[in-house]
Amino acid sequence: MIQATRKYSWIALTAARSNLAYLSEVATRALFLAVILYIFLRLWQVTYGETGAERLGGLSLPQMLWYLAMTEALTLSAPRVAAEVDQDVRTGALAVQLIRPLDYPLARLWTTLGERVVRFGLNTGVGAALALLMVGPIAFSPGGLLLFALALPLAFTLEFMGQFLIGLAAFWLEDTSGLMLIYSRITMILGGMLIPLELFPPAAQPALRALPFSSIIYGPARMFVHPDAAFLADLLLRQGLAIVLLALAVALVYRAGLRRIHSNGG
Amino acid sequence: MIKRFANYLGLAAAYTRLNLGAQLEYRGAFVSQVAAMILNDSVWVVFWVLFFTRFPVLRGWNVADVITVWAMAAAGFGLAHAIYGNVLALATLIAQGQLDVWMLYPRALLPHLLLGRMNASSWGDALFGYGVYLAFVRPDLAHFAMFVALTLAVTLLFVGFGVLTGSLSFFVGNAAGLADQWRFAMITFSTYPAVLFEGAIKLLLYTLVPAGFVSYLPVQALRELSPGYALLTLLGALGITAAGVALFYLGLRRYESGNLMEMRG
Amino acid sequence: MTSAVELQGLSKTFQLSSGWGRRRVRRDVVAVDGISLDVPAGQAVAFIGPNGAGKSTTIKMLTGILHPSAGEARVLGYTPWKERRALVRHIGAVFGQRSQLWYHLPPRDTFELLARIYSLDRASYTRRRDMLIERFGLAPFLETAVRKLSLGQRMRAEVAASLLHAPRVLFLDEPTIGLDVIARQELRDLILEWNRDEGLTVFLTSHDAGDIERVARRVIVINHGRVVLDDKVSALRRQYLGSKILSVKFHAPVQPLVLPGVTTLKAAEYALKLEVDTRVAPIEQVMAAVLRAGSVADIAIEDPPLEEVIAHIYAQAPAGAG
Repeated sequence: MIQATRKYSWIALTAARSNLAYLSEVATRALFLAVILYIFLRLWQVTYGETGAERLGGLSLPQMLWYLAMTEALTLSAPRVAAEVDQDVRTGALAVQLIRPLDYPLARLWTTLGERVVRFGLNTGVGAALALLMVGPIAFSPGGLLLFALALPLAFTLEFMGQFLIGLAAFWLEDTSGLMLIYSRITMILGGMLIPLELFPPAAQPALRALPFSSIIYGPARMFVHPDAAFLADLLLRQGLAIVLLALAVALVYRAGLRRIHSNGG
Repeated sequence: MIKRFANYLGLAAAYTRLNLGAQLEYRGAFVSQVAAMILNDSVWVVFWVLFFTRFPVLRGWNVADVITVWAMAAAGFGLAHAIYGNVLALATLIAQGQLDVWMLYPRALLPHLLLGRMNASSWGDALFGYGVYLAFVRPDLAHFAMFVALTLAVTLLFVGFGVLTGSLSFFVGNAAGLADQWRFAMITFSTYPAVLFEGAIKLLLYTLVPAGFVSYLPVQALRELSPGYALLTLLGALGITAAGVALFYLGLRRYESGNLMEMRG
Repeated sequence: MTSAVELQGLSKTFQLSSGWGRRRVRRDVVAVDGISLDVPAGQAVAFIGPNGAGKSTTIKMLTGILHPSAGEARVLGYTPWKERRALVRHIGAVFGQRSQLWYHLPPRDTFELLARIYSLDRASYTRRRDMLIERFGLAPFLETAVRKLSLGQRMRAEVAASLLHAPRVLFLDEPTIGLDVIARQELRDLILEWNRDEGLTVFLTSHDAGDIERVARRVIVINHGRVVLDDKVSALRRQYLGSKILSVKFHAPVQPLVLPGVTTLKAAEYALKLEVDTRVAPIEQVMAAVLRAGSVADIAIEDPPLEEVIAHIYAQAPAGAG
């Protein structure tokens, strides 16, 4: 058990260090985020101005911009797990992995988490700098940031599982990129990347909260601008439940895939 | 003059047919790229519909106007790169010295070279642009005719802008990264209503990042069925294209004189 | 001597299906057809055959990735497909085109990770690592990101990485592909050295005749899923020494030479390249004929290259096997 922990945490650490090589992408990211966030800033400045409202969906204008900076940082930091797993299945790299004393899904999960922490850190840095420049700080407290940090690991794991499942579909499908695109676009819309869930039609909101997509983006971003212990407890519960269900699906599908490898060579 | 233009249209049609034929060799991949792009574009329509359900008017523009912005940008961008796919590769082609091949043909270099490649997913953008305009805005014949004419002007604008940014490679080494980012800014601003912006940024939208010729003038032309705004759109497209062509041929002189040889290794 | 790898009638049949619904057709494809082998511990074996002969299917069964349709196999006493987790701690694998090194990180980082993956004891890991660094000459680029290494350096680090957990059997799949002549020889020597000094059992597949000659003492040729030849590498040559290659250059143009037992491989105006079956046409007789044919400027007699010998064996695959 201790050995396994050491094994997989070291994998995460190695993945994180390997991704520091992408530091040079930060400049490109910065421009991308600057353009997007500036446009959103104007869009919401005009909207707050025209409606004359102090708060929309419970958020002030600065909170709204910080919320959007966070959803962008979350979305942009999602590693391309589905594409990588798809490649591993197709090239037989997954089969070769079996020659090592490693569990493939776990190794992938920890690689992804390590990678993601670095990318998310960089994107958040850039996003925060821009938001500071545009609307200044909002009320942050160490406790609030801690609550926010607690919302992240399960959100990352959940996102990973969705993508991992899609990647495994490569055992049966010619091409999984279409599936991945649909998944990512649904996550963007239903996850509240462009608009917080509170501004969706009220009838749709309960369903959206129940779906796992909102636990990946909306939940953590909302915790960031509006820390709330009760909200966090609810979020963790939703995340945990979704993870259990998805873990079951992953186990089933992965086992079916292994059977295919054992009988067909992958 | 007219004869030469007709002759060029024949060439463009031949290239488009050929490129499309090549794409259709991998029909499945082509269709899925096109479908993926349509799906991708649809996300933004969903966003705007959601937005306008909550806030019905934005600086006097309603949801149909904003969808028109998207339709205009997608159709123009799509058509431009479906036919002139090499616009996107221009910076790299110049930096790698690959213009040589194109100089061997008895044709005007730039308009010929741009036809050399097709960007498959751009067909998705083009189809989406016209499709969403027809389905969502439900125009009458006059509006639709004007929309089609305006998309052609916007196509010209995107081609001219691509040539302008791509030609930077003549002057600053491999400018592919710079050209990409500049183009990204252009596309992003093109898909949001220009009424959001004021002051210096507004000036920017008619100069360095000429998105105003996509996201304001043509939409205003359609709102008011105004030939004046339509004419301004066309003039903008012509102006940017003239600037792009001028920069390209200016750079070409450096290229021909061999001053760029050191970077071809 | 104990066996490292033992196969008894190992077979694998794949079921391929095509079409949909009612028209769906299933057909069986026999990839490995009853292979029996015994590789003693410490032997270096070249396992060769044309593409699609069943090499990689066999190796996948030996490493526990693929389950066989029939037959038995034991690798280091383990049945691979039943005891894969126990087995993998004792085998290593190098796939020429599939790196286990982290691209953006120096080789040292991959070594550290592997130490954890294989749960190696710290002290013995350090000792083993330092020995590998020295023997494989990794010190100069140990701290350089893998993406900046030459292919030769990369492959040396690759093989060293696969030896870190002290495997007793090493599977090498096309290890020298893409390497230049010098890097190729270095790598072959290292593998050979490890085989001789550490008693490592080496299971090598390669299309490169040089790899086979230099590294392996035994060669097993499989084709259409069956063993078509299993012999010492030296015997492989002897078996085909019945033929010689004769290259002749003339001072003046010559007529083609027609003799029983002599095949013209290449003919130019001033030169001939002949394959002589010495059992039919003794070499003196052929030489005499050559000297009569024209004024000879240069002449060379060679054994056929191993590559041709192998090609010859492939071509002679048993009829009805496929």
